[in-house]
Amino acid sequence: MKKILFIICLIVPCIAMAQKTRSTAWHLSIPEVTVYGQRPMKEIGAQVTKFDSVALKENIALSMADVLTFNSAIFVKNYGRATLSTVAFRGTSPSHTQVSWNGMKINNPMLGMTDFSTIPSYFIDDASLLHGTSSVNETGGGLGGAVKLSTKPAEAEGFGMHFVQGIGSFKTFDEFLRLTYGNEHWQTSTRVVYSSSPNDYKYRNHDKKENIYDEDMNIIDQYYPIERNRSGSFKDFHFLQEVYYNTRKGDRLGFNAWYINSNRELAMLTVDHGDETDFENRQREQTFRSLLSWDHLREDWKLGAKAGYIYTWVGYDYKRDLGNGIMAHMTRSRSHINTFYGQVDGEYYLGKKWLFTANLSLHQHVVESEDKNILRQDGNKAIVGYRKGRPELSGSVSAKWKPIDRLGLSVVFREDMFGKEWTPIIPAFFIDGVISQKGNIMAKASVSRNFRFPTLNDLYFLPGGNPDLKKESGWTYDAGLSFAVGKEGVYSLSGSVNWFESYVKDWIIWLPTTKGFFSPDNIKDVHAYGVELKADLNVALAKDWQLGLNGTFSWTPSINEGEPRTPADQSVGKQLPYVPEYSSTVTGRLTWRSWSFLYKWCYYSERYTMSSNDISLTGKLPPYFMSNVTLEKGLSFKWADLSLKGTINNLFNEEYLSVLSRPMPGINFEVFIGITPKWGKKK
Amino acid sequence: MLLGLLLTSCMKWDYGLEEEFDTSASGEGLFICNEGNFQYGNATLSYYDPETKTVQNEVFYRANGMKLGDVAQSMIIRNGVGWVVVNNSHVVFAIDINTFKELGRITNLTSPRYIHFLSDEKAYITQIWDNRIFIVNPKRYKITGYIEVPNMTMESGSTEQMVQYGKYLYVNCWSYQNRILKIDTETDKVVDELVVGIQPTSLVMDCNNKLWTVTDGGYEGSPYGHEAPSLYRINIDDGKFEVEKQFKFEFSDSPSEVQLNGTKDKLYWINDDIWEMDVTADRIPVRPFLPYDNTIYYGLTVCPRTGDVYIADAIDYVQQGMVYRYSKDRELLDSFYVGIIPGAFCWK
Repeated sequence: MKKILFIICLIVPCIAMAQKTRSTAWHLSIPEVTVYGQRPMKEIGAQVTKFDSVALKENIALSMADVLTFNSAIFVKNYGRATLSTVAFRGTSPSHTQVSWNGMKINNPMLGMTDFSTIPSYFIDDASLLHGTSSVNETGGGLGGAVKLSTKPAEAEGFGMHFVQGIGSFKTFDEFLRLTYGNEHWQTSTRVVYSSSPNDYKYRNHDKKENIYDEDMNIIDQYYPIERNRSGSFKDFHFLQEVYYNTRKGDRLGFNAWYINSNRELAMLTVDHGDETDFENRQREQTFRSLLSWDHLREDWKLGAKAGYIYTWVGYDYKRDLGNGIMAHMTRSRSHINTFYGQVDGEYYLGKKWLFTANLSLHQHVVESEDKNILRQDGNKAIVGYRKGRPELSGSVSAKWKPIDRLGLSVVFREDMFGKEWTPIIPAFFIDGVISQKGNIMAKASVSRNFRFPTLNDLYFLPGGNPDLKKESGWTYDAGLSFAVGKEGVYSLSGSVNWFESYVKDWIIWLPTTKGFFSPDNIKDVHAYGVELKADLNVALAKDWQLGLNGTFSWTPSINEGEPRTPADQSVGKQLPYVPEYSSTVTGRLTWRSWSFLYKWCYYSERYTMSSNDISLTGKLPPYFMSNVTLEKGLSFKWADLSLKGTINNLFNEEYLSVLSRPMPGINFEVFIGITPKWGKKK
Repeated sequence: MLLGLLLTSCMKWDYGLEEEFDTSASGEGLFICNEGNFQYGNATLSYYDPETKTVQNEVFYRANGMKLGDVAQSMIIRNGVGWVVVNNSHVVFAIDINTFKELGRITNLTSPRYIHFLSDEKAYITQIWDNRIFIVNPKRYKITGYIEVPNMTMESGSTEQMVQYGKYLYVNCWSYQNRILKIDTETDKVVDELVVGIQPTSLVMDCNNKLWTVTDGGYEGSPYGHEAPSLYRINIDDGKFEVEKQFKFEFSDSPSEVQLNGTKDKLYWINDDIWEMDVTADRIPVRPFLPYDNTIYYGLTVCPRTGDVYIADAIDYVQQGMVYRYSKDRELLDSFYVGIIPGAFCWK
């Protein structure tokens, strides 16, 4: 805290000095309202949520998990910064959300899910959610939807540099550097993020008590201890290199390479009575993702090709001090994943009324999982694990038709092949139409079938993998209304309401066996349905004053509609555990000249921890509200632009839980200083 | 709107209120250890009064205002004190068996599974993922030493249930193991071992001082091997330590939870169905004691006084499990919901 005050003392004179210079005008742009006839044909009938750069580039400490938490109705399950962050999109499981980076799928093929805490939001230039059926336009398997992440050329002229230093509570340091160079044909960008923290925030442990004994070891008093988050440190390094070449004659070439080196401890539970110095529980990851892309654009057609490669190494170590300072392995697991990727796609416009698209992608995974080292009966060493490869082929064709400006129709046929198994044809149909030109009131509807194949762990993990698993299948229906009104530079107001209905059959669940390990099976049939609301308002309140408000609300019952497993089963007809029925977010940004104030708020209703929806004393996750604020000041000097930013997370210092036995941090602070030198630019 | 949000109330995370219990009046009582879900810290302890057919759930939390922990593995009672082993919380709690109040705790264990008392001041605690059995002083709640198990690495270490006969203690080694150990409790040394089948899961001693264990046979694809499980009767009389009789199961069977009745002349176990067999029998009965009812039974115990058989059904492992109580004549007497994944029982 003292350090933060010290930093603030340093910053304030800086601000005062800078006031003497001309302040940088900071404007929240109020765009022109999209007119119905100009909507992209590719998005006919699709439910898409796009994140603007304000949300993505809010501060360098944020991961995509934070962006999704405060800017969408997706439920993000995590237990603090730099911890496994998975999503429940429309009440589905994490592996029902397909995630792509520049078109390449980045879901872990062993687990099926994506850890959004390992994606710094500063590395993403474009992000959008494709809700339910809309994901079929991009990929198969997105029973909940898809998250599309991409980078794009920086549009730099000459050399550029941007550096941000963040210093926060719990000795947290965040550094970001971006170097850019650009000319008419070439654009290069190098981005680096390094974040580290002991992450040892204090909390009162409500789940356990410390004992005070007398000499005869009788308990004479007990108290709830104030503890620090034990064993929760992290060091995450990210490096992203991009090179783009544009011929300016309709051809674009791109190269992206992203390296991640993550070293994270796994924090101890609140109910752990072990001594943190006696245990080490750590996960390390190294991932390299690379991508070559070529786009060939002509007036009425486009051809694209991509080739990529992903290598991931994950090491998990659980060690115990033997009492002599030697840390012995209790668990030592390693996994290596190699993924080779190739994709071709094409688009053809036939006049202004038709668009045809085709896409074919291949991901070839080669996985080596070493989960445990054992001694065999003959005394020789052996490793428990598996080595498997699997090609994943996905192809689609679509036709989009706008017979009149007010009406759009789209049909997509997709087929996936995983290993040697094919899905049936996956159809998706979309329609949208303008109900009223006044207010740009538009109706959308869509329906699609979808399938998700078991992950490699589902099939082959030792022990428990079940090679006889069936693929999950589902139908999803969407319908919604949206409107948009406004006046450029004055105000814009848009909103949408969307209803969805989704049925998933043969949902895969891992259950314990009588042999002491877990094994997956096609157990559940789930009916997820609900309503999603979105609203967005931007207003120029007065000269130099602008207000932006953005809100989401979701009602997402996700109901188990399978057969009772036993006569005593109370889970049928109940909400799935750890999926909130209601969630909401609000983001408000008020700007005045070069000052900007941001307020972020999110709400999750109670999450059940039992499939029977019983709320027990030990299994309670009450609803919570979370508020974060940020104050930012932009400064413009002759030699550089500066940005000073202060953030308060968990403004009301709430004691809350997202996951049982994992306390979240209380109020915490971070300040950021950003600098963008004006090299070779007009002063 | 922002102001409205600011004024909205926040989450309440209440401290647990401590309830007063006194079950000393009822003679018989059954504790049920509900494992809870690994890494979620939602293990609980239930208490059932067979006389009144009433169950109290979450008694540890309600009596102490704190959680039991992560994966409640087992419980024993000695001199009116219950010892609850909570595996992934690295702790063994001592509780008053009438008030459920904590009396003390042994901490900093590796991954405790079972506790066995040798005297008031000496007990052994077996572990998984450790090749040592911990020696503790329960009076001082202190770890006092270790027994290193030969030919066992830390990573595949597994010692389980303990049975004492004279000065010797017998321990089955389960995960990626195939042995029963014989430990001299005076020297705290492993003095002998008996190789049985792959992964012996439990260990009991009958009225004739014969040890019984059942193996699960490993699993398909295991580098340790996969075989048909077996039930073993082991002779430990006169310094011997040998398999007296092996009862083979089918390759696809998964027997577990060998238990005895109060007079220790009948053996019970789970193998989809519930099975009962005389300890002197030469073959496994043709028909089960209770047939399979479309669920995987997870726990089993027999009332030492009445012979009633209690079976735990974990259902889908993320809801309150159900315990069924049958008479020794197979009549359903009662059923009651307990906590998540009821796995172990302990008679008062």
